[in-house]
Amino acid sequence: MSNQKNMMHTLPVEAYTSQEWFDLEQEHIFSKTWQFAGLVEDVENAGDYISVQAGLNNIFIVKGRDQRLRAFHNMCRHRGTQLLRAVGKGQKAITCPYHDWTYDLEGKLISIPKKEEEFPDLCDKTLHDCGLNLHEASVDIFKGMLFVHPEKDAPNIMEFFGAVEPFLGPHVPEELIEYKAKQGAPFYTKEINANWKIIVENYIDQYHLAHLHEGTLNMYDHAKAEFGWAGPHYHFYEPLVPAYLADIKNASPYPLIDKMPEDKMGAYVPWLFPNIGITESESAWNTFHAIPLAPDRTLVVIRSKTMNVSEWEYTKQYTKSMSSKVWKTLGNRGKYNGDKNDPMASGDFMAEDVYACEQQQKSLRSPLFSVGAEAQNGEFAVRKFQSVVKEWLEKHNEDA
Amino acid sequence: MPKFYPLKVLDVKKETKNATSIAFDVPYALYDTFHYKPGQYLTLKFNLDGEDVRRSYSLCSSPVLEEPLRIGVKRVKDGLVSNHINDNLKVGDTVEVMPPDGRFFADVKKDSYKTYYLFSAGSGITPILSILRTVLFTEARSYVRMIYGNRSQDSIMFNSELNALQEQYSDRFILEHILSRPKSNWSDLWKTSKAQSYRKGRVDTDAVKWFINEYPPYAQNAAYYICGPGTMIANTKNALNAIDVPNERIFIERFGGSPSKTIIDGVDHAKLIAHLNNERIEVSMPKGKTVLRTLIDAGKEPPYSCEGGVCSTCICKLTSGKIHMKNNLALSDKAVEQGYILSCQSIPLTESIEIEYE
Repeated sequence: MSNQKNMMHTLPVEAYTSQEWFDLEQEHIFSKTWQFAGLVEDVENAGDYISVQAGLNNIFIVKGRDQRLRAFHNMCRHRGTQLLRAVGKGQKAITCPYHDWTYDLEGKLISIPKKEEEFPDLCDKTLHDCGLNLHEASVDIFKGMLFVHPEKDAPNIMEFFGAVEPFLGPHVPEELIEYKAKQGAPFYTKEINANWKIIVENYIDQYHLAHLHEGTLNMYDHAKAEFGWAGPHYHFYEPLVPAYLADIKNASPYPLIDKMPEDKMGAYVPWLFPNIGITESESAWNTFHAIPLAPDRTLVVIRSKTMNVSEWEYTKQYTKSMSSKVWKTLGNRGKYNGDKNDPMASGDFMAEDVYACEQQQKSLRSPLFSVGAEAQNGEFAVRKFQSVVKEWLEKHNEDA
Repeated sequence: MPKFYPLKVLDVKKETKNATSIAFDVPYALYDTFHYKPGQYLTLKFNLDGEDVRRSYSLCSSPVLEEPLRIGVKRVKDGLVSNHINDNLKVGDTVEVMPPDGRFFADVKKDSYKTYYLFSAGSGITPILSILRTVLFTEARSYVRMIYGNRSQDSIMFNSELNALQEQYSDRFILEHILSRPKSNWSDLWKTSKAQSYRKGRVDTDAVKWFINEYPPYAQNAAYYICGPGTMIANTKNALNAIDVPNERIFIERFGGSPSKTIIDGVDHAKLIAHLNNERIEVSMPKGKTVLRTLIDAGKEPPYSCEGGVCSTCICKLTSGKIHMKNNLALSDKAVEQGYILSCQSIPLTESIEIEYE
């Protein structure tokens, strides 16, 4: 057997199956990049906070009274206990549940119980000069999304995302409102039995759109897709098919995004390295967060935003959409006929993607597995993505 | 010691009834010497009524746009130099000018992603305008939120320029005017252009709080620049501190100084011993004269520049005796504790004082 046999495109198959690769990625990719932490409105008022796992670091973001966000490692400097849970509001100080050590919103240590009796060494200094303030991290905003970086003096976020920015849609996510299935629940959450890179590669694979999704994403004109690479990020745009475009004002399932120009209706579907995609379409704006849980398990969380207009506008649009002829031929027909619970017959493109990813992951264990060939245009991004992962690991492995 | 260069006045422009801006022609050979950062000032020297007088004025021009160096000068009541400039200076005149200086400036970089909060009042707009234009032009991704306080619509310096910037950069530049005595707007009914909106009042704690809540930072690397009269600065800084803005993000330039409220008389005819340029000088200090003026009158050449307690060019160390500084806007409490003084502001409080220039 040749070595080629165990290769994906650029990466070895074990990069998708082994704990060792998973650990390397956690350390050198997810702990050294700007990581998606949520949407701007998640931390709305002074004292509100959220915490997020970003690679090996748990980081919390809190808003100060000056409306500026601060980020700290969510770890008491005493014995390391996690300070804050998930989300919260109106905090004035941060107290560790273990021994009640307390920090202010600037991360400065302000109180230690029984300080005089138990920590006489610390008594001749003011507490925030003891070198026991919270470890600072960085937080910034890009396109209505919160990102954290574990370093205090992180590289400028726009140096990271700047190159891809011109390729993003005209959407202004801050002006849109979030669709929530249930109170507090995101639009879509699913644990997928595949390596996170399989999911990314599916997202950036243009070749599969006309095939796997032949009946579900056929309202977009895949033949006219424009896509490429900018910095470590992937960008993609495709217009609507003429039939959908002609009746877009009626057929659109939600009120149209007002920022979309009529002569460039379509979908922008970039992937921001390493693990956050955005789907910016004519009527919705979604984040697609792929969170690696294990070598063969990934949590995908999709949050969806649509126009900030009245319930009545949505009802009107829904009624118009339902009666549009467009949907008789586009958008909801499964690849196979049969039971709607079969992902391939469901008419749901997400179910189709999940199915394809999980089936590919299963085959990685086969001794006969190999990528046989690659589409030079439609799959070029898959190879490119793997080489970015490889470069990132090599660069940081050397640094370390 | 920094030296003066004769520069020709290229343009004199009336900005308001009481303010003028002056552009200088810098010869090619002096381009490097007169290179500046947005926020810095020029020191001008005039001989008025037989006495050399110097004043520092902030540059309102931007170093990244191809334009001459320009300063803004607002009349100070009974001010010797500001009135001279407003009344007499004309195109073609030659003025003695020291190269740009000052620690109040913005470090503007093409790739920066920041939110700038600019707080200005009155003629405090001059360095702020320089920072504003430089940032908007250079940092394509940064945001600027600005407050500009004035007495009335008529006293807004650079008004048309600010309006133009607001239009050109409407996606990332917000400007709120605050007027303490706005003119009633009846006359605007006849105007075709829309009346300028403003908030009534002063740049005070409430205004600053309102402004920050109304316009939170987008890029999270926020910097806060304040320039105006003493009370405006104190109010703005206190308001920022009260909502936990860290001091290392706040930059301040004081205008016109704040004359100390308590008038302290120095000791009459105190003995001054000064160590300057390897020379030991011993002179008697006439009543009311500063250390700096005493040395200049004695024919010596101590370093100095603004003579307003702002620039710290005249810094020296007090080794014995006590002094009072009329105005200190340059030295930190720590520097003062270590004995550093501004010679242009120091009058003696003991019979004898000794100082050393480094």
